[in-house]
Amino acid sequence: MSEFECIDVRDASEVSIVRLVDEKVMDPQRVQKLGEELLTLPKIKPGRILINMSNVKFLSSAAINKLLILEKRLSKQGGRIKFSNLRPEVQEVFNITNLNSVFDICEAEEDAIEELRSNT
Amino acid sequence: MPNRDLTLPHLPMNDRIARELDHQWSKVWDLAIPSDPFIGTEFIKNVLDELELLNWPDRDRFAIHMSLEEAIMNAIKHGNCQQTDKQVLIDARISAAKFYIRVTDEGPGFNPHDVPDPTLEENLTKTSGRGLKLMRIYMNFVVYNSVGNQVELLKIRQD
Repeated sequence: MSEFECIDVRDASEVSIVRLVDEKVMDPQRVQKLGEELLTLPKIKPGRILINMSNVKFLSSAAINKLLILEKRLSKQGGRIKFSNLRPEVQEVFNITNLNSVFDICEAEEDAIEELRSNT
Repeated sequence: MPNRDLTLPHLPMNDRIARELDHQWSKVWDLAIPSDPFIGTEFIKNVLDELELLNWPDRDRFAIHMSLEEAIMNAIKHGNCQQTDKQVLIDARISAAKFYIRVTDEGPGFNPHDVPDPTLEENLTKTSGRGLKLMRIYMNFVVYNSVGNQVELLKIRQD
């Protein structure tokens, strides 16, 4: 059984693929839990992480903040993070808030994995 | 002593919003909820269900969802500091064409002009200000009272 509730983590040689489980990341308790689980990743998966957002139809700014904190934490320790498979409405939120210039976003999971492996 | 703003009559702050409020509403909520995020979330779910019943388009439902989440959670978390003895007043109205909400907390208020623009380079990685920006983008009107403890939001259906 997975040690996580809000994320699903699997390894694909050199890259950890993380899927957010919830469609709507909004319930305060779930957002809090998501943040805690994401912040364990830099400890147990310190290298390259891909966040696949295909499940996510809605996320509050509180949930976005959890992703930002993870990005900062991982970058600080020399890791890399990419995001993939954003639904158009979530991509729009990232565009509106200019987070598309902070987060490294790929359309497809396989492209993101390839880029993470090749350090591009 | 109750917060002085909570004792004010329900007067709109903006003439344009006042005109928009002269409307045949399908459903009206007039609530005082404790500062509990879970109760806030339940209210948001009720509104989303109504929007669906009224066949609001997905894009508008997303916009209202995002803005409601920010307005109500700001009131609960930042305004009332999640003190459950403090209330959040909600006046919300919905029809097939418009959605309006006024959210009032018992906090000291804030000046929305002091909130840094999260889209500026120097603020991009900060974790504040993003909710306010999203409300302003997604809603037709976002108006704060002079105290900064009350916000009115209005969304006009886009299709």
